[in-house]
Amino acid sequence: MFSVLKPHRWKLATLLLAANLGLLLHLACGELKAVSEWVWLDIVGEGGTALLALIWLGLVLKSRPAGRVTNYLALGLSCIFFSWWIDSLDEFIRLPDSITWDHWLESGPMPVGMVLLTIGIYHWHREQLAISAQMEKRERLFREHRLFDKLTPLGGADYLKRQLADSLLDSQRQQQPLSLLALDLDNFAAINQDFGHAEGDAVLQALSHLLLLNLRRQDLLCRLAGDRFVVLLPNTGESQARLLAQELRQAVQSLAHKSRQHGERLQLSACTAVVMALDETPEVLLKRLNLALARAKQPLAKSA
Amino acid sequence: MTLKTRWYENDSRFIPGHYQPASLIDLALSRDIDSHRLLRGTGLFHEDILAGQTRLSPQQFLGLIGNSRRLLDADDSSFLFGQRLLPGHYGAASHALRHAQNLHQALDTLVQQQALLSPLASPRLLLDDRHAYFYWLDSCGAGEQWRFLLEASMTSLVAMSQWLSGQRLPWECCFSHAEPRYVEQYWVHLGEHTQFKRPMDLMRIPREFLTQAWPNASATAGQVARQEALGQLEQLGFASSFLDCVYRYLQGQVRQAPSLEQTAQAFGMSPATLKRKLHKHGSGFQQQADLVRKHVALYLYRIKGLSNEEVAEYLSFNDAANFRRSFKRWTGSTPKLIRQLFSAG
Repeated sequence: MFSVLKPHRWKLATLLLAANLGLLLHLACGELKAVSEWVWLDIVGEGGTALLALIWLGLVLKSRPAGRVTNYLALGLSCIFFSWWIDSLDEFIRLPDSITWDHWLESGPMPVGMVLLTIGIYHWHREQLAISAQMEKRERLFREHRLFDKLTPLGGADYLKRQLADSLLDSQRQQQPLSLLALDLDNFAAINQDFGHAEGDAVLQALSHLLLLNLRRQDLLCRLAGDRFVVLLPNTGESQARLLAQELRQAVQSLAHKSRQHGERLQLSACTAVVMALDETPEVLLKRLNLALARAKQPLAKSA
Repeated sequence: MTLKTRWYENDSRFIPGHYQPASLIDLALSRDIDSHRLLRGTGLFHEDILAGQTRLSPQQFLGLIGNSRRLLDADDSSFLFGQRLLPGHYGAASHALRHAQNLHQALDTLVQQQALLSPLASPRLLLDDRHAYFYWLDSCGAGEQWRFLLEASMTSLVAMSQWLSGQRLPWECCFSHAEPRYVEQYWVHLGEHTQFKRPMDLMRIPREFLTQAWPNASATAGQVARQEALGQLEQLGFASSFLDCVYRYLQGQVRQAPSLEQTAQAFGMSPATLKRKLHKHGSGFQQQADLVRKHVALYLYRIKGLSNEEVAEYLSFNDAANFRRSFKRWTGSTPKLIRQLFSAG
């Protein structure tokens, strides 16, 4: 937590100082109200919004890497907090009517903060577009971070099923073919066994990058489970999908992955299966794809 | 003379922290989960486990499983855990598995050394003239963690037999629960032909695979390791859990259908104590008796090929209607449907 806030320590210190100065200034010039004079609704309303602004600031700083956009957002939220903070102070401290600077303190930072926040959000939007472009082939139109795979930078099985349902509808509407491709590493268990599970994880991560490089813009790569990946191929017939599958197999074979510990080359190979969507549900289609893959993996066991 | 307990219960601290629990801890750590959060509420410390000093009770292990499931929050946790379980690094028992001559010997070792190799799920092996059947019993009252244990146990056996035999073996897995949302995990880790909504959780394999010799096994090393492992069990003072002992007793006496009082007497305790102990493991006497009779009935249908009347008679039911009702209660299905399921499978 503190390491995340460290690059922002000067901003936070300045905000703390400003808030305290405001408080001291009020205390110096005004007098405290008796508890009977407190208006609880105003205290909860104004104090609560100030507190929320502080929470927003914390979340923004914690969730974003430091940088220009973060600075805009932080500065904007700081101004908004300050303004609400001064606003809530006059619930406790009465200032004589001769003093007018409190209005400036209360209302001055607010528009400035709003403008800064707006600039920040605009740049955030630009930044998001850039990130979405980087997410190409891993994400299509819809984002749900709870469906992200925990190991590779890809969507998981649930994300695939959701996308598949949408794509099936699209393909029926547009009368375009839709194909699915499954890719499964050969002897992945042996890699885990011989080099450890951490190395197995590294292989899967390397593989996800490799596969992304070999796909077209409109394709979507997901990790189904274990060492099995599935590619959703919109507007693609079976023969073209087979060609892609062959290219992916070749890519896996020529990947010269080196083990982390001793830098040995791991010889990888994969087996693939392709199905074209018929008039069926996503579950049935996925099941058919996996059965096709099981057939491709034959012979299951050499008989005695 | 000191009376040694002949079984372990869910609060007996005997599972070394660096055995099965370590596999789960390593899995969680590899996913960047904080060790303090992982062990919260279990009364365990990572430093002690690393020092090899900690012994866990089944209850603590189940607590650790619960924490891991919550923190990992992924559908493949049980399967990844299972892949790391066998043959494992559990001393002589693991060596015995590692040097098994064939699948049959490995399965026998697994059953015999259950307390060391699979303390929470106790495996059973059955044979008919075509297949070998392997299934697990909940040995410590796993409750909501049972599905996780079952997935892990089946995966561990599939993964181990593939590794040691050097080929993918045609295991077929059946589960009693309905097809889960994350069915693709079952396909990848257990095989595409995994079936759901079956009368029992079990796996089966054609018998010829039992006796195929496994490469790289040393008969002598295996023999010695089995001896050593038996010595370890001797030292522990028990080879199976309390629930297993009750199950085995009821199975042996299934034709007499012993009452709670008779069972308590056989175990040298009062009926109240027996009830309390069963309750402690999340079970009850009737539940255990029904489980045993369900398993026996399925065995007689499937393996002995007996008819309804013969099974009813074997289990000492006076009339067929009564038997059908009881059977429905055990399995949620009628004998007729079960027979159809078997002939279809």
